[in-house]
Amino acid sequence: MQAGRGPAAKPPIGIAFEGDLGNRIDALLAVAMLNGFTGKGEARKIALSISRPSLKAAQLADVALAFYGGRAIAGPGGGVGGSPDGMVGVPEGASFSTDNPPLAAILTKKTAEGAPQYSTGISRVLDTADNAVLIRNQLLAQNDGNASIVVAGPATGMARLLGLYGARPQIATKVSQLVVAMGAFPSGEPDSAIKSDIASARTLFAEWPTPLVAVGAEVGAVLPFPGASIETDFGWSQAHPIVDAYRGFKPMPYDAPATALAALLQAVHPNDGYFKLSEPGTISVLDDGRTQFTAAAGGKHRYLIVDPAQKDRVIKLYKDMVAAPPAPRPGRGGRGNPAAAAAAAAAQQQQQQQQQQQPPPAQAPKPADPKPPTP
Amino acid sequence: MSFVTGKSIPRRTFLRGVGVAAVGLPFLDAMTPAFAAAPKAPVRLAFMYVPNGIDMKNWNIEQEGAFGAFPRVMKPLEAFRDDMIQIGNLTHNSGRALLDGAGDHGRCAGSYLTGIQVRKTTIDIKASVSCDQLIANQIGNQTRFASLELGMDDSRQAGDCDSGYSCAYTNNLAWKSETQPLPPILDPRALFERLFGTGVVLSPEQTVRQARYRRSILDFVTADTHKLQTSLGPTDKRKLEEYLSSIREVERQLEKAERENVAIDPGMTKPYGVPPDFSEHFKLMSDMLAIAFQADLTRVATFLMTREGTSRSYREIGISDGHHPCTHHQGKPDLMEKVTQINEYHTKQLAGFIGNLKSMKEGDSNVLDNSMIVYGAGLSDGNRHLHEDLPTLLIGRGGNYFKPGRRIIYRKETPMCNFQLSLMDRMGVHVENFGDASGPLDPTSLT
Repeated sequence: MQAGRGPAAKPPIGIAFEGDLGNRIDALLAVAMLNGFTGKGEARKIALSISRPSLKAAQLADVALAFYGGRAIAGPGGGVGGSPDGMVGVPEGASFSTDNPPLAAILTKKTAEGAPQYSTGISRVLDTADNAVLIRNQLLAQNDGNASIVVAGPATGMARLLGLYGARPQIATKVSQLVVAMGAFPSGEPDSAIKSDIASARTLFAEWPTPLVAVGAEVGAVLPFPGASIETDFGWSQAHPIVDAYRGFKPMPYDAPATALAALLQAVHPNDGYFKLSEPGTISVLDDGRTQFTAAAGGKHRYLIVDPAQKDRVIKLYKDMVAAPPAPRPGRGGRGNPAAAAAAAAAQQQQQQQQQQQPPPAQAPKPADPKPPTP
Repeated sequence: MSFVTGKSIPRRTFLRGVGVAAVGLPFLDAMTPAFAAAPKAPVRLAFMYVPNGIDMKNWNIEQEGAFGAFPRVMKPLEAFRDDMIQIGNLTHNSGRALLDGAGDHGRCAGSYLTGIQVRKTTIDIKASVSCDQLIANQIGNQTRFASLELGMDDSRQAGDCDSGYSCAYTNNLAWKSETQPLPPILDPRALFERLFGTGVVLSPEQTVRQARYRRSILDFVTADTHKLQTSLGPTDKRKLEEYLSSIREVERQLEKAERENVAIDPGMTKPYGVPPDFSEHFKLMSDMLAIAFQADLTRVATFLMTREGTSRSYREIGISDGHHPCTHHQGKPDLMEKVTQINEYHTKQLAGFIGNLKSMKEGDSNVLDNSMIVYGAGLSDGNRHLHEDLPTLLIGRGGNYFKPGRRIIYRKETPMCNFQLSLMDRMGVHVENFGDASGPLDPTSLT
């Protein structure tokens, strides 16, 4: 697919993240963590989409996009045309009428002056993109094998993506792996995301053309996001949508099961020893929404296994990446993004305080005059 | 209905004469068998393409639904507000770079009707069969010409026209196969000869010589015309006279353009019959397209008003800067104003064509009502080379099918190919997949 193109260095892996952002706090935390990876140059967000037809969840995603500086900003013109980076993908059939996901409660939060704390550019379904089309379009802009898809919610969108004309070979070429935060392994309870669309989950596991890693609920339970981090690590922002959503989701303090974070970490760092993987096999979906893994040589599916020795390392990474301030846009230094500016100001203030507390450095010895150049 | 014999005239009747191939006829009452229900007029489809994007601030009508106030670029079309739908948010992802780097103009034109990302090359070009040709392949045998390809600008088919993209991409809309574009006819005389001539291709010198002694094509079919007139009722007679007059008017315009061209610059590289003035050129070409639709000579056409990426100046309206450089205005008000004026100028020309189609009676309606004229560009914001929210107008009712007079906005990233699937469907050509379509547009949104 890339014959004739120059040997330009591959950018960091592109992540298309689709999650049940209105209902799963770990999915929302994953959006924050993806920003952290982006800031460190370890990944790129190529698409953000909602896995249920919820416009309020789409608004929440849009708020997060704006907070992390991902909304499209008009450039000066010329050059190569833009991409739909700042759009939010939503499945067909979204409306406000029956739509009340708990995490979207932050959309009603007001400032002290009574203005909305968080603004969104989404007021109707026309402000969103079809999630399958958005992901397909963005995959086509990636180098071969340099994209991964992470799903933390129903498989509806992925099944639809598979059904787009010509998409399967494109997925096979562009996507290195699909990581799904669903199911329980080797056995466990029915998965509510699977139950909500069993047909799509079956299509996904049966027909997805690339390696697939499933992250079961047991991983999220053993490796939760530490709620204490919410109280201590986000001081750089006066108003943080993820923090507000976390606080509003359940009475504090609580540690949130974080299956989506494990899935994202696996997608960004598949070979860095954070987790172990099962042997290859095939995952199937039972009528009640449970998953069943059958080992098989050459199978494209594996499931993630917690490595107890890595637990502290993983949790620390979660904390660091989720609490990371907005990544500056390449070449823009975070310009135009209030959250990035606030984070930069807070960091500067902290640095100044540290300098004031430290004694002045001793006079450094004057370096010796360099030798005159030899003629 | 035939008043003399009671027999109907076949729909595909031609006036024939020595030295000319045939002159097609418009739809006449006499083509309807006595006491039979009037046959359904054919549906026609034309794609009218303008390059370098459009000033979207002065293009998009503000709200969805019934039209409100028309912005500046749309203003010349005000008289036809009840005949059109303005569509928002259609996207051509295949026009984007997708790892192929610079060349948005080459890509957007190449993908406009093919729906795929064209190969970045100046040698071994590769696109795909365009949607107009998919239609022509299936219904083209019902008309004298399977399709017509018209243009008004550069027709080079080789060389680099945009950052490594062949001129074949920027200078053609219609593609017969992956590797065979169908170059547009630029010369009005050539188009006239194609529509009404013998099919013999003359050299420019022969054309000049012939023009000196030219009689109207209508002179050659006088006998057939008289014969036909005797069998027509008064309404049909008037319709026939109007139709033949419109052909004669095209001939006069052609002769005038040819006289002026010879006087201006005998050695010019422009094709012989191309008028120097943009609006005159457009009028000639679009008048002939209208006649071709009226006489059912073809049902599908593409019209590249100027080639993608063109740096043509518009001295006719006092703009000596090139169109393309103006569109890279980087927010400078004087250049932005020029872009708006060029866009307005284009829609003024379009309004003439639309008015012409609307004036052509066809049964109880008119040719415009039975047509789908798609006017648009492969870029929205030419300054930033954006491939989403492409400016798109659907003019005409497609045979009393569409519900016009409103703006429809689809979801972001809705593939332009979805719209093209819907158009093909309306033309009776049912294609399961096309380009990057995710499915035809919801028919209830358009009707």
